[in-house]
Amino acid sequence: MKNKDGRWFYLFISPWLIGFIALTLGPILFSIYMSFTDWDLFQSANFIGIDNYKNLLTDDPIFWKSLWNTFYYSFIAVPLGMSISLWIAYYLNKKLKGITFFRVLYYLPSVVPVVAASLLFIQLFAPTEGLINQGLALFGIQGPAWLLDANWVKLALVVMSLWGVGGGVVLLLAGMKGIPPELYEASAIDGASSKQSFFSITFPMLTPVIFFNLVTGIIGALQTFAQVFIVTSGGPDNASQMVVPYLFQNAFRFYKMGYASAIAWVLFIIILLLTLIVFRSSALWVHYEEGKENG
Amino acid sequence: MARISLMEKGVSYVILCAVGILLFAPFIYMLSIAFASDATTVKVAFTFIPLEFTFENFTKVFTNYHLGTYLKNSVIITFWTVIGSVASASFVSYGFARLKAKGSGIIFVILLSTMMIPGEVTMVPQFIIYKELGWVNTFLPLIVPSFFAGAYNVFLIRQFIMAIPRSLDEAAMIDGMGHFGIYSKIILPMTFPILSAIAIFSFSYNWGNFMGPLIYINDPEKTPLALGVQLISTASGGQMPPWNMVMVASLFLTIPMIIVYMLGQRFVYEANISGGSSGIK
Repeated sequence: MKNKDGRWFYLFISPWLIGFIALTLGPILFSIYMSFTDWDLFQSANFIGIDNYKNLLTDDPIFWKSLWNTFYYSFIAVPLGMSISLWIAYYLNKKLKGITFFRVLYYLPSVVPVVAASLLFIQLFAPTEGLINQGLALFGIQGPAWLLDANWVKLALVVMSLWGVGGGVVLLLAGMKGIPPELYEASAIDGASSKQSFFSITFPMLTPVIFFNLVTGIIGALQTFAQVFIVTSGGPDNASQMVVPYLFQNAFRFYKMGYASAIAWVLFIIILLLTLIVFRSSALWVHYEEGKENG
Repeated sequence: MARISLMEKGVSYVILCAVGILLFAPFIYMLSIAFASDATTVKVAFTFIPLEFTFENFTKVFTNYHLGTYLKNSVIITFWTVIGSVASASFVSYGFARLKAKGSGIIFVILLSTMMIPGEVTMVPQFIIYKELGWVNTFLPLIVPSFFAGAYNVFLIRQFIMAIPRSLDEAAMIDGMGHFGIYSKIILPMTFPILSAIAIFSFSYNWGNFMGPLIYINDPEKTPLALGVQLISTASGGQMPPWNMVMVASLFLTIPMIIVYMLGQRFVYEANISGGSSGIK
Protein backbone atom coordinates (compact mmCIF):
# COMPACT_ATOMS: atom_id res chain seq x y z
CA MET A 1 0.00 0.00 0.00
CA LYS A 2 2.67 2.50 1.11
CA ASN A 3 4.89 1.53 -1.81
CA LYS A 4 2.11 2.06 -4.32
CA ASP A 5 1.29 5.41 -2.72
CA GLY A 6 4.89 6.42 -3.38
CA ARG A 7 4.58 5.99 -7.12
CA TRP A 8 1.31 7.94 -7.14
CA PHE A 9 2.93 10.68 -5.08
CA TYR A 10 5.64 11.19 -7.68
CA LEU A 11 3.15 11.02 -10.51
CA PHE A 12 0.98 13.75 -8.99
CA ILE A 13 3.85 16.06 -8.13
CA SER A 14 5.57 15.49 -11.48
CA PRO A 15 4.51 18.82 -13.05
CA TRP A 16 6.23 20.65 -10.21
CA LEU A 17 9.18 18.27 -10.07
CA ILE A 18 9.91 18.57 -13.80
CA GLY A 19 9.75 22.36 -13.70
CA PHE A 20 11.90 22.44 -10.58
CA ILE A 21 14.62 20.25 -12.09
CA ALA A 22 14.51 21.90 -15.53
CA LEU A 23 14.19 25.59 -14.67
CA THR A 24 14.78 26.23 -10.94
CA LEU A 25 17.39 23.83 -9.59
CA GLY A 26 20.16 24.93 -11.99
CA PRO A 27 19.92 28.63 -11.11
CA ILE A 28 19.81 27.74 -7.39
CA LEU A 29 22.98 25.63 -7.54
CA PHE A 30 24.61 28.29 -9.69
CA SER A 31 23.91 31.00 -7.12
CA ILE A 32 25.21 28.81 -4.26
CA TYR A 33 28.45 28.36 -6.17
CA MET A 34 28.66 32.08 -7.01
CA SER A 35 28.35 32.97 -3.32
CA PHE A 36 31.84 31.46 -2.92
CA THR A 37 33.29 33.58 -5.73
CA ASP A 38 34.03 37.23 -6.53
CA TRP A 39 31.79 37.22 -9.63
CA ASP A 40 31.08 40.72 -10.98
CA LEU A 41 28.53 39.69 -13.67
CA PHE A 42 30.99 40.37 -16.52
CA GLN A 43 34.32 38.66 -15.93
CA SER A 44 34.77 35.03 -15.05
CA ALA A 45 34.48 34.28 -11.36
CA ASN A 46 37.34 33.38 -9.02
CA PHE A 47 36.72 30.97 -6.18
CA ILE A 48 37.40 32.75 -2.90
CA GLY A 49 36.02 30.27 -0.37
CA ILE A 50 33.97 31.66 2.48
CA ASP A 51 35.33 35.23 2.23
CA ASN A 52 31.97 36.71 1.20
CA TYR A 53 30.24 35.14 4.18
CA LYS A 54 33.04 36.21 6.52
CA ASN A 55 32.92 39.83 5.31
CA LEU A 56 29.16 39.86 5.47
CA LEU A 57 28.94 38.64 9.04
CA THR A 58 31.97 40.37 10.57
CA ASP A 59 32.64 43.49 8.54
CA ASP A 60 29.44 44.93 7.07
CA PRO A 61 27.42 47.19 9.40
CA ILE A 62 24.92 48.01 6.65
CA PHE A 63 24.03 44.33 6.31
CA TRP A 64 23.34 44.08 10.04
CA LYS A 65 21.34 47.28 9.99
CA SER A 66 19.28 46.10 7.02
CA LEU A 67 18.71 42.76 8.74
CA TRP A 68 17.50 44.54 11.89
CA ASN A 69 15.23 46.81 9.81
CA THR A 70 13.81 43.82 7.95
CA PHE A 71 12.95 42.06 11.21
CA TYR A 72 11.54 45.23 12.75
CA TYR A 73 9.31 45.78 9.71
CA SER A 74 8.22 42.14 9.40
CA PHE A 75 7.41 41.61 13.05
CA ILE A 76 5.11 44.62 13.07
CA ALA A 77 3.63 44.32 9.57
CA VAL A 78 2.81 40.58 9.56
CA PRO A 79 0.89 40.23 12.88
CA LEU A 80 -0.80 43.59 12.39
CA GLY A 81 -1.80 42.75 8.81
CA MET A 82 -3.10 39.33 9.85
CA SER A 83 -5.21 40.67 12.71
CA ILE A 84 -6.65 43.44 10.58
CA SER A 85 -7.49 41.08 7.72
CA LEU A 86 -9.20 38.67 10.10
CA TRP A 87 -11.17 41.56 11.55
CA ILE A 88 -12.16 42.80 8.07
CA ALA A 89 -13.09 39.29 6.91
CA TYR A 90 -15.32 38.92 9.96
CA TYR A 91 -17.30 42.01 8.92
CA LEU A 92 -17.32 41.13 5.21
CA ASN A 93 -18.78 37.73 6.06
CA LYS A 94 -21.96 39.25 7.50
CA LYS A 95 -25.15 38.98 5.53
CA LEU A 96 -25.71 42.67 4.89
CA LYS A 97 -27.17 44.52 1.95
CA GLY A 98 -24.50 45.74 -0.45
CA ILE A 99 -21.82 43.55 1.09
CA THR A 100 -20.52 42.65 -2.40
CA PHE A 101 -19.70 46.30 -2.92
CA PHE A 102 -17.56 46.34 0.23
CA ARG A 103 -15.85 43.10 -0.72
CA VAL A 104 -14.77 44.65 -4.03
CA LEU A 105 -13.72 47.88 -2.32
CA TYR A 106 -11.50 46.04 0.18
CA TYR A 107 -9.91 43.85 -2.46
CA LEU A 108 -9.19 46.78 -4.76
CA PRO A 109 -5.88 47.97 -3.27
CA SER A 110 -4.29 44.54 -3.52
CA VAL A 111 -4.66 44.53 -7.32
CA VAL A 112 -2.69 47.73 -7.76
CA PRO A 113 0.80 46.69 -8.90
CA VAL A 114 3.36 47.43 -6.23
CA VAL A 115 5.18 49.85 -8.55
CA ALA A 116 2.06 51.97 -8.99
CA ALA A 117 1.18 51.74 -5.30
CA SER A 118 4.68 52.88 -4.40
CA LEU A 119 4.43 55.96 -6.62
CA LEU A 120 1.07 56.73 -5.05
CA PHE A 121 2.36 56.46 -1.49
CA ILE A 122 5.28 58.76 -2.15
CA GLN A 123 2.68 61.45 -2.79
CA LEU A 124 0.49 60.42 0.12
CA PHE A 125 3.35 60.53 2.63
CA ALA A 126 4.60 63.96 1.54
CA PRO A 127 5.29 65.97 4.75
CA THR A 128 2.94 68.94 4.28
CA GLU A 129 0.93 68.55 1.07
CA GLY A 130 0.54 64.75 1.42
CA LEU A 131 -3.00 63.47 1.88
CA ILE A 132 -2.14 61.57 5.07
CA ASN A 133 -0.76 64.55 6.97
CA GLN A 134 -3.52 66.78 5.60
CA GLY A 135 -5.99 64.25 6.98
CA LEU A 136 -4.24 64.21 10.36
CA ALA A 137 -4.22 68.02 10.37
CA LEU A 138 -8.03 67.94 10.28
CA PHE A 139 -7.84 66.41 13.76
CA GLY A 140 -5.21 68.91 14.84
CA ILE A 141 -2.43 66.34 14.64
CA GLN A 142 0.91 67.40 13.23
CA GLY A 143 2.02 64.36 11.24
CA PRO A 144 5.68 63.35 11.02
CA ALA A 145 7.73 63.77 7.84
CA TRP A 146 7.22 60.00 7.36
CA LEU A 147 9.67 59.03 4.61
CA LEU A 148 12.22 61.66 5.61
CA ASP A 149 12.19 60.80 9.30
CA ALA A 150 14.39 57.89 10.42
CA ASN A 151 12.01 57.13 13.29
CA TRP A 152 8.90 56.94 11.14
CA VAL A 153 10.02 55.60 7.78
CA LYS A 154 9.67 51.90 8.70
CA LEU A 155 6.20 52.50 10.12
CA ALA A 156 5.29 54.33 6.91
CA LEU A 157 6.18 51.14 5.03
CA VAL A 158 4.03 49.17 7.49
CA VAL A 159 1.08 51.50 6.80
CA MET A 160 1.63 50.98 3.09
CA SER A 161 1.63 47.19 3.53
CA LEU A 162 -1.70 47.36 5.39
CA TRP A 163 -3.29 48.95 2.36
CA GLY A 164 -2.94 45.63 0.51
CA VAL A 165 -4.44 43.22 3.06
CA GLY A 166 -7.31 42.40 0.65
CA GLY A 167 -5.61 39.31 -0.78
CA GLY A 168 -5.41 37.64 2.63
CA VAL A 169 -9.01 38.68 3.33
CA VAL A 170 -10.18 36.76 0.23
CA LEU A 171 -8.60 33.57 1.55
CA LEU A 172 -10.06 34.03 5.03
CA LEU A 173 -13.51 34.65 3.55
CA ALA A 174 -13.22 31.56 1.36
CA GLY A 175 -12.38 29.65 4.53
CA MET A 176 -15.30 31.16 6.47
CA LYS A 177 -17.72 30.24 3.70
CA GLY A 178 -16.70 26.61 4.04
CA ILE A 179 -17.64 26.35 7.73
CA PRO A 180 -20.80 24.25 8.00
CA PRO A 181 -23.73 26.45 9.11
CA GLU A 182 -24.94 23.60 11.36
CA LEU A 183 -22.08 24.42 13.72
CA TYR A 184 -23.34 27.97 14.20
CA GLU A 185 -26.92 26.81 14.61
CA ALA A 186 -25.86 24.31 17.26
CA SER A 187 -23.92 26.92 19.20
CA ALA A 188 -26.79 29.42 18.91
CA ILE A 189 -29.08 26.85 20.48
CA ASP A 190 -26.56 26.49 23.29
CA GLY A 191 -26.91 30.24 23.80
CA ALA A 192 -23.46 31.28 22.57
CA SER A 193 -22.94 34.97 21.75
CA SER A 194 -21.55 35.89 18.35
CA LYS A 195 -18.23 36.64 20.03
CA GLN A 196 -18.17 33.22 21.65
CA SER A 197 -19.03 31.44 18.42
CA PHE A 198 -16.26 33.36 16.65
CA PHE A 199 -13.63 32.10 19.09
CA SER A 200 -15.00 28.59 19.47
CA ILE A 201 -15.96 27.89 15.84
CA THR A 202 -14.77 30.41 13.27
CA PHE A 203 -11.23 30.87 14.51
CA PRO A 204 -10.31 27.19 15.00
CA MET A 205 -11.85 26.24 11.65
CA LEU A 206 -9.84 28.97 9.95
CA THR A 207 -6.48 27.96 11.41
CA PRO A 208 -5.30 26.16 8.24
CA VAL A 209 -5.81 29.40 6.27
CA ILE A 210 -4.36 31.57 9.06
CA PHE A 211 -1.35 29.27 9.12
CA PHE A 212 -0.95 29.72 5.37
CA ASN A 213 -1.21 33.52 5.66
CA LEU A 214 1.35 33.48 8.49
CA VAL A 215 3.94 31.40 6.64
CA THR A 216 3.62 33.21 3.30
CA GLY A 217 3.37 36.55 5.13
CA ILE A 218 6.66 35.98 6.96
CA ILE A 219 8.41 34.83 3.79
CA GLY A 220 7.05 37.79 1.81
CA ALA A 221 7.80 40.44 4.44
CA LEU A 222 11.38 39.28 4.96
CA GLN A 223 11.86 39.64 1.19
CA THR A 224 10.37 43.16 0.94
CA PHE A 225 11.91 44.83 -2.07
CA ALA A 226 9.97 47.09 -4.42
CA GLN A 227 8.47 49.37 -1.73
CA VAL A 228 11.89 50.16 -0.27
CA PHE A 229 13.58 50.36 -3.64
CA ILE A 230 11.05 52.81 -5.09
CA VAL A 231 9.71 54.71 -2.10
CA THR A 232 12.72 55.31 0.15
CA SER A 233 15.81 53.85 -1.58
CA GLY A 234 16.72 52.66 1.93
CA GLY A 235 16.93 56.17 3.34
CA PRO A 236 17.15 58.29 5.33
CA ASP A 237 20.59 57.17 6.50
CA ASN A 238 19.78 53.48 5.86
CA ALA A 239 16.90 53.66 8.35
CA SER A 240 14.68 51.74 5.93
CA GLN A 241 17.33 49.68 4.17
CA MET A 242 16.31 46.03 4.05
CA VAL A 243 18.08 42.83 3.11
CA VAL A 244 16.77 42.24 -0.42
CA PRO A 245 17.12 45.87 -1.61
CA TYR A 246 20.65 45.81 -0.19
CA LEU A 247 21.28 42.55 -2.04
CA PHE A 248 19.95 44.11 -5.24
CA GLN A 249 22.18 47.15 -4.78
CA ASN A 250 25.24 44.96 -4.39
CA ALA A 251 24.36 42.84 -7.40
CA PHE A 252 23.24 45.37 -9.96
CA ARG A 253 24.71 48.68 -8.80
CA PHE A 254 28.10 47.64 -7.37
CA TYR A 255 28.28 44.52 -9.58
CA LYS A 256 29.22 42.36 -6.61
CA MET A 257 27.12 39.37 -7.64
CA GLY A 258 29.14 36.92 -5.55
CA TYR A 259 28.59 39.02 -2.44
CA ALA A 260 24.89 39.47 -3.27
CA SER A 261 24.52 35.69 -3.59
CA ALA A 262 26.04 35.24 -0.12
CA ILE A 263 23.49 37.75 1.27
CA ALA A 264 20.71 35.76 -0.42
CA TRP A 265 21.79 32.50 1.18
CA VAL A 266 22.17 33.98 4.65
CA LEU A 267 18.64 35.38 4.31
CA PHE A 268 17.43 32.04 2.97
CA ILE A 269 18.73 30.19 6.03
CA ILE A 270 17.06 32.69 8.37
CA ILE A 271 13.71 32.38 6.56
CA LEU A 272 13.96 28.59 6.42
CA LEU A 273 14.64 28.33 10.16
CA LEU A 274 11.75 30.66 11.00
CA THR A 275 9.40 28.75 8.70
CA LEU A 276 10.38 25.41 10.21
CA ILE A 277 9.75 26.79 13.71
CA VAL A 278 6.30 27.97 12.63
CA PHE A 279 5.63 24.56 11.04
CA ARG A 280 6.67 22.75 14.24
CA SER A 281 4.37 24.99 16.27
CA SER A 282 1.46 24.29 13.93
CA ALA A 283 0.74 20.95 15.61
CA LEU A 284 -0.28 22.94 18.69
CA TRP A 285 -2.75 25.33 17.13
CA VAL A 286 -3.64 24.43 13.52
CA HIS A 287 -6.75 22.35 13.29
CA TYR A 288 -7.02 19.87 10.42
CA GLU A 289 -9.99 17.57 9.94
CA GLU A 290 -7.83 14.46 10.46
CA GLY A 291 -6.96 15.51 13.99
CA LYS A 292 -10.54 15.09 15.13
CA GLU A 293 -12.02 11.76 16.13
CA ASN A 294 -15.13 12.28 14.00
CA GLY A 295 -12.97 13.15 10.96
CA MET B 1 -24.79 34.19 11.26
CA ALA B 2 -28.48 34.00 10.63
CA ARG B 3 -30.06 36.73 12.75
CA ILE B 4 -28.40 40.13 12.98
CA SER B 5 -29.66 42.81 15.33
CA LEU B 6 -30.28 46.33 14.09
CA MET B 7 -27.57 47.65 16.38
CA GLU B 8 -25.03 45.17 15.04
CA LYS B 9 -26.01 46.08 11.49
CA GLY B 10 -25.47 49.78 12.10
CA VAL B 11 -22.08 49.28 13.73
CA SER B 12 -21.01 47.02 10.86
CA TYR B 13 -21.95 49.59 8.23
CA VAL B 14 -20.13 52.40 10.05
CA ILE B 15 -16.96 50.33 10.36
CA LEU B 16 -17.14 49.07 6.77
CA CYS B 17 -17.61 52.59 5.40
CA ALA B 18 -14.91 54.21 7.50
CA VAL B 19 -12.25 51.66 6.57
CA GLY B 20 -13.54 51.66 2.99
CA ILE B 21 -13.00 55.40 2.60
CA LEU B 22 -9.42 55.07 3.87
CA LEU B 23 -8.72 52.31 1.36
CA PHE B 24 -10.37 54.11 -1.52
CA ALA B 25 -8.85 57.58 -1.05
CA PRO B 26 -5.69 56.89 -3.10
CA PHE B 27 -7.84 55.85 -6.06
CA ILE B 28 -9.57 59.20 -6.13
CA TYR B 29 -6.15 60.68 -6.65
CA MET B 30 -5.53 58.31 -9.56
CA LEU B 31 -8.91 59.09 -11.16
CA SER B 32 -8.44 62.79 -10.68
CA ILE B 33 -5.13 62.79 -12.57
CA ALA B 34 -6.50 60.51 -15.30
CA PHE B 35 -9.12 63.10 -16.17
CA ALA B 36 -6.83 66.12 -15.92
CA SER B 37 -5.68 67.96 -19.02
CA ASP B 38 -2.00 68.20 -19.92
CA ALA B 39 -1.80 71.75 -18.62
CA THR B 40 -3.26 70.86 -15.24
CA THR B 41 -0.95 67.95 -14.53
CA VAL B 42 2.11 70.14 -14.96
CA LYS B 43 1.07 71.92 -11.82
CA VAL B 44 1.69 69.07 -9.42
CA ALA B 45 -0.66 70.42 -6.78
CA PHE B 46 -3.41 67.97 -5.98
CA THR B 47 -7.03 68.93 -6.52
CA PHE B 48 -9.85 66.48 -5.91
CA ILE B 49 -11.62 67.62 -9.05
CA PRO B 50 -9.22 68.43 -11.89
CA LEU B 51 -9.07 72.14 -12.75
CA GLU B 52 -9.51 71.33 -16.43
CA PHE B 53 -11.55 68.18 -16.90
CA THR B 54 -11.08 66.16 -20.11
CA PHE B 55 -12.11 62.81 -21.61
CA GLU B 56 -9.64 63.14 -24.47
CA ASN B 57 -6.94 61.28 -22.54
CA PHE B 58 -8.81 58.05 -23.08
CA THR B 59 -8.59 58.21 -26.87
CA LYS B 60 -5.11 59.73 -26.86
CA VAL B 61 -3.52 56.69 -25.18
CA PHE B 62 -4.67 54.58 -28.13
CA THR B 63 -3.61 56.96 -30.89
CA ASN B 64 -0.45 58.54 -29.47
CA TYR B 65 0.70 55.52 -27.49
CA HIS B 66 0.39 51.77 -28.22
CA LEU B 67 -2.21 50.91 -25.64
CA GLY B 68 -4.10 48.56 -28.02
CA THR B 69 -1.04 46.37 -28.63
CA TYR B 70 -0.16 46.33 -24.93
CA LEU B 71 -3.68 45.21 -24.06
CA LYS B 72 -3.70 42.41 -26.64
CA ASN B 73 -0.37 41.02 -25.38
CA SER B 74 -1.55 41.14 -21.77
CA VAL B 75 -4.69 39.21 -22.67
CA ILE B 76 -2.73 36.40 -24.39
CA ILE B 77 -0.17 36.05 -21.60
CA THR B 78 -2.71 36.21 -18.80
CA PHE B 79 -5.08 33.69 -20.42
CA TRP B 80 -2.42 30.97 -20.61
CA THR B 81 -0.82 31.65 -17.24
CA VAL B 82 -4.14 31.45 -15.40
CA ILE B 83 -4.98 28.10 -17.01
CA GLY B 84 -1.48 26.78 -16.35
CA SER B 85 -1.25 27.85 -12.72
CA VAL B 86 -4.65 26.57 -11.64
CA ALA B 87 -4.47 23.20 -13.42
CA SER B 88 -0.93 22.32 -12.41
CA ALA B 89 -1.17 23.50 -8.80
CA SER B 90 -4.43 21.66 -8.22
CA PHE B 91 -2.99 18.37 -9.51
CA VAL B 92 0.30 18.67 -7.62
CA SER B 93 -1.26 19.67 -4.32
CA TYR B 94 -3.32 16.46 -4.25
CA GLY B 95 -0.01 14.61 -4.15
CA PHE B 96 1.33 16.68 -1.28
CA ALA B 97 -1.89 16.61 0.75
CA ARG B 98 -2.90 12.98 0.39
CA LEU B 99 0.02 10.78 -0.64
CA LYS B 100 3.09 9.71 1.28
CA ALA B 101 6.36 8.46 -0.13
CA LYS B 102 9.93 8.12 0.98
CA GLY B 103 11.21 11.67 1.19
CA SER B 104 7.86 13.34 0.57
CA GLY B 105 8.30 15.51 3.69
CA ILE B 106 11.67 16.77 2.55
CA ILE B 107 10.36 17.40 -0.96
CA PHE B 108 7.62 19.57 0.54
CA VAL B 109 10.25 21.60 2.41
CA ILE B 110 12.15 21.99 -0.88
CA LEU B 111 8.94 23.20 -2.55
CA LEU B 112 8.49 25.81 0.19
CA SER B 113 12.17 26.73 -0.04
CA THR B 114 11.70 27.89 -3.59
CA MET B 115 9.64 30.75 -2.13
CA MET B 116 12.41 31.69 0.27
CA ILE B 117 15.21 32.35 -2.20
CA PRO B 118 15.22 36.00 -3.28
CA GLY B 119 14.44 35.99 -7.00
CA GLU B 120 17.08 38.62 -7.63
CA VAL B 121 19.97 36.16 -7.31
CA THR B 122 18.52 33.46 -9.56
CA MET B 123 17.45 36.04 -12.15
CA VAL B 124 20.72 36.00 -14.07
CA PRO B 125 21.15 32.21 -14.42
CA GLN B 126 17.44 31.92 -15.22
CA PHE B 127 17.88 34.46 -17.98
CA ILE B 128 20.80 32.44 -19.37
CA ILE B 129 18.62 29.30 -19.51
CA TYR B 130 15.84 31.08 -21.42
CA LYS B 131 18.36 32.66 -23.73
CA GLU B 132 19.90 29.26 -24.51
CA LEU B 133 16.39 27.97 -25.24
CA GLY B 134 15.89 30.86 -27.65
CA TRP B 135 12.88 32.11 -25.68
CA VAL B 136 13.99 35.71 -25.12
CA ASN B 137 11.64 38.19 -26.75
CA THR B 138 8.82 35.66 -26.82
CA PHE B 139 5.95 35.09 -24.38
CA LEU B 140 7.34 31.67 -23.42
CA PRO B 141 9.44 32.69 -20.35
CA LEU B 142 6.33 34.41 -19.01
CA ILE B 143 3.88 31.58 -19.75
CA VAL B 144 5.66 28.21 -19.52
CA PRO B 145 6.74 28.34 -15.83
CA SER B 146 3.12 28.67 -14.72
CA PHE B 147 2.43 25.17 -16.06
CA PHE B 148 4.92 23.77 -13.53
CA ALA B 149 2.89 24.55 -10.37
CA GLY B 150 3.96 27.48 -8.20
CA ALA B 151 4.84 26.77 -4.57
CA TYR B 152 2.47 29.42 -3.20
CA ASN B 153 -0.55 27.91 -4.96
CA VAL B 154 0.37 24.33 -4.13
CA PHE B 155 0.78 25.18 -0.44
CA LEU B 156 -2.55 27.03 -0.40
CA ILE B 157 -4.59 24.25 -2.04
CA ARG B 158 -2.86 21.68 0.18
CA GLN B 159 -4.16 23.54 3.24
CA PHE B 160 -7.71 23.26 1.92
CA ILE B 161 -7.41 19.60 0.91
CA MET B 162 -6.03 18.70 4.32
CA ALA B 163 -9.20 20.04 5.89
CA ILE B 164 -11.37 17.68 3.80
CA PRO B 165 -12.21 14.52 5.79
CA ARG B 166 -10.17 11.55 4.63
CA SER B 167 -13.18 9.34 5.24
CA LEU B 168 -14.56 10.59 1.91
CA ASP B 169 -11.49 9.27 0.07
CA GLU B 170 -11.61 6.00 1.97
CA ALA B 171 -15.25 5.44 1.10
CA ALA B 172 -14.49 6.09 -2.56
CA MET B 173 -11.52 3.75 -2.41
CA ILE B 174 -13.70 0.96 -1.05
CA ASP B 175 -15.98 1.60 -4.04
CA GLY B 176 -12.95 0.83 -6.21
CA MET B 177 -11.98 4.37 -7.15
CA GLY B 178 -8.32 5.08 -7.86
CA HIS B 179 -6.33 8.23 -7.08
CA PHE B 180 -7.25 9.86 -10.40
CA GLY B 181 -10.92 9.25 -9.65
CA ILE B 182 -10.69 10.55 -6.08
CA TYR B 183 -8.81 13.62 -7.26
CA SER B 184 -11.12 14.50 -10.14
CA LYS B 185 -14.49 13.42 -8.70
CA ILE B 186 -14.14 14.26 -4.99
CA ILE B 187 -11.27 16.65 -4.25
CA LEU B 188 -11.44 18.83 -7.37
CA PRO B 189 -15.11 19.84 -6.96
CA MET B 190 -14.58 20.52 -3.24
CA THR B 191 -11.58 22.76 -3.83
CA PHE B 192 -13.39 24.73 -6.53
CA PRO B 193 -13.76 27.88 -4.34
CA ILE B 194 -10.07 28.06 -3.55
CA LEU B 195 -9.18 27.33 -7.18
CA SER B 196 -11.36 30.31 -8.14
CA ALA B 197 -9.44 32.42 -5.64
CA ILE B 198 -6.16 31.25 -7.18
CA ALA B 199 -7.47 32.05 -10.66
CA ILE B 200 -8.28 35.60 -9.49
CA PHE B 201 -4.87 36.02 -7.84
CA SER B 202 -3.02 34.60 -10.79
CA PHE B 203 -4.95 36.86 -13.15
CA SER B 204 -3.99 39.88 -11.04
CA TYR B 205 -0.38 38.80 -10.71
CA ASN B 206 0.18 38.12 -14.40
CA TRP B 207 -1.86 41.07 -15.63
CA GLY B 208 0.22 43.32 -13.40
CA ASN B 209 3.56 41.50 -13.79
CA PHE B 210 6.25 44.05 -14.50
CA MET B 211 9.56 42.35 -13.70
CA GLY B 212 9.10 39.38 -16.08
CA PRO B 213 8.40 41.43 -19.22
CA LEU B 214 11.08 43.94 -18.22
CA ILE B 215 13.68 41.18 -18.30
CA TYR B 216 12.52 39.07 -21.23
CA ILE B 217 10.72 41.40 -23.64
CA ASN B 218 12.34 44.26 -25.50
CA ASP B 219 10.22 44.26 -28.65
CA PRO B 220 7.54 47.01 -28.36
CA GLU B 221 5.18 44.78 -30.38
CA LYS B 222 5.32 42.13 -27.63
CA THR B 223 5.13 44.43 -24.64
CA PRO B 224 2.30 43.79 -22.19
CA LEU B 225 0.44 46.61 -20.45
CA ALA B 226 2.24 46.58 -17.07
CA LEU B 227 5.51 47.32 -18.83
CA GLY B 228 3.72 49.56 -21.33
CA VAL B 229 2.66 51.91 -18.51
CA GLN B 230 6.32 52.33 -17.69
CA LEU B 231 7.13 52.97 -21.37
CA ILE B 232 4.46 55.68 -21.50
CA SER B 233 5.89 57.33 -18.40
CA THR B 234 9.33 57.55 -20.01
CA ALA B 235 8.03 58.32 -23.53
CA SER B 236 8.92 61.98 -23.31
CA GLY B 237 12.60 61.32 -22.72
CA GLY B 238 14.07 63.25 -19.82
CA GLN B 239 10.99 65.47 -19.55
CA MET B 240 8.19 65.26 -16.98
CA PRO B 241 6.24 62.05 -17.58
CA PRO B 242 2.76 62.63 -19.06
CA TRP B 243 1.11 61.85 -15.70
CA ASN B 244 -2.43 61.93 -17.03
CA MET B 245 -1.56 59.35 -19.73
CA VAL B 246 0.22 57.21 -17.15
CA MET B 247 -2.83 57.26 -14.92
CA VAL B 248 -5.22 56.44 -17.78
CA ALA B 249 -3.03 53.47 -18.69
CA SER B 250 -2.95 52.54 -14.99
CA LEU B 251 -6.74 52.53 -15.01
CA PHE B 252 -6.67 50.09 -17.93
CA LEU B 253 -4.29 48.03 -15.85
CA THR B 254 -6.46 48.10 -12.74
CA ILE B 255 -10.04 47.91 -14.00
CA PRO B 256 -9.86 44.41 -15.60
CA MET B 257 -8.56 43.07 -12.29
CA ILE B 258 -11.54 44.57 -10.49
CA ILE B 259 -13.96 43.13 -13.05
CA VAL B 260 -12.41 39.68 -12.79
CA TYR B 261 -12.69 39.85 -9.02
CA MET B 262 -16.32 40.96 -9.19
CA LEU B 263 -17.22 38.10 -11.51
CA GLY B 264 -15.02 35.54 -9.78
CA GLN B 265 -15.82 36.17 -6.13
CA ARG B 266 -19.21 34.51 -6.59
CA PHE B 267 -17.40 31.22 -7.16
CA VAL B 268 -15.10 31.78 -4.22
CA TYR B 269 -17.76 32.58 -1.66
CA GLU B 270 -20.90 30.83 -2.79
CA ALA B 271 -19.89 27.79 -4.80
CA ASN B 272 -19.85 25.30 -1.96
CA ILE B 273 -23.22 26.19 -0.51
CA SER B 274 -24.90 23.78 -2.91
CA GLY B 275 -22.18 21.14 -2.59
CA GLY B 276 -21.21 19.21 0.51
CA SER B 277 -20.96 21.98 3.03
CA SER B 278 -18.71 20.12 5.44
CA GLY B 279 -15.84 20.09 2.99
CA ILE B 280 -13.70 23.13 2.97
CA LYS B 281 -12.48 24.90 6.03
